[in-house]
Amino acid sequence: MKIMPCPLNGPRNISEFTYGGELKAMPDPSHCSDAEWAAYVFNSDNLAGVVTEWWMHNASSYWFLAERHTVSDEIIRTFDPQELFKQRVDFAVPAKVEEATV
Amino acid sequence: MASLQARNFNQRSPLAHRHVGATLGPMGDSVIVARYGQHDEKAQLQRCALLDLSNLPRVGFRGAHTAEYLRQRGYQLPAQPNQAVVQADGSRVARLSQNEYLLLGSLLDGGSRIALEEAQWQYDDTPNYLLPRQDSHAWLLLTGEHISEVMAKLCGVDLSAQAFPPGSVAQTSAARINVIVINLAEGDLPALQILCDRASADYFWDALLDAMAEFAGAPAGIDELL
Repeated sequence: MKIMPCPLNGPRNISEFTYGGELKAMPDPSHCSDAEWAAYVFNSDNLAGVVTEWWMHNASSYWFLAERHTVSDEIIRTFDPQELFKQRVDFAVPAKVEEATV
Repeated sequence: MASLQARNFNQRSPLAHRHVGATLGPMGDSVIVARYGQHDEKAQLQRCALLDLSNLPRVGFRGAHTAEYLRQRGYQLPAQPNQAVVQADGSRVARLSQNEYLLLGSLLDGGSRIALEEAQWQYDDTPNYLLPRQDSHAWLLLTGEHISEVMAKLCGVDLSAQAFPPGSVAQTSAARINVIVINLAEGDLPALQILCDRASADYFWDALLDAMAEFAGAPAGIDELL
């Protein structure tokens, strides 16, 4: 069994984890275009090389980040997201969209 | 006196139908298995036994302010994540992450202190959020000298005495379902507190009993723990 080192729980079987996609910088949701937002939500870079990805340890519902080589599948490093996310991200309430009248 | 019946109570353990024939005793607003037969269960508990504590109150709290909140309410907190401590009144506090704590009620007061914590929590501006755990998890107690050997058959994490001393917490997979395993003895009795998905409790109960069979393990009640 492949082993993933969880920053909170230590080394665990890979079957205890769920993949959460690539780490990407979030565009400002109130100013970016629909295409930019769609690219952020749906598109992947799918690089061959070292990438940073979200992973979750299922038993503790703990999300963390992992640096992994997508060719060799080697896990280089795992770390708590607080290394990168030091502040709470608040979202402004979007202005109400008027319902279209026909 | 008419014997207690689990079906007469609103709160029932997900394993209530597995306790047919057992002698039940009152536990808060519900019931709990006191004993299965007429014989003394002390030797069984010491060797290898499984108890259903699902009707004993438990609750979680999470947030940047949670540690401060619990300290103000008189709880002693574990210094690190994945550690647990017993409180003076027998309640238990497990730290599941940097900011998440799980409170487990004591048999001594029927879990009333912990039930009160859930009832008294109020939503406000401080980041301290209630995590109801009564209906999400089942709570089992595995006791006796063979607990490590039983778990070794079900779980990939080393839960031997050297690697998993008293006060340790492991959040992992056992018998292919997610569990929280807490090594906190019941007095002098070696014991693992195991919390698992409530809907899977029936399956997990059988999986544990199957693993316990070679150690002559059997279900037991709480009478000899009090």
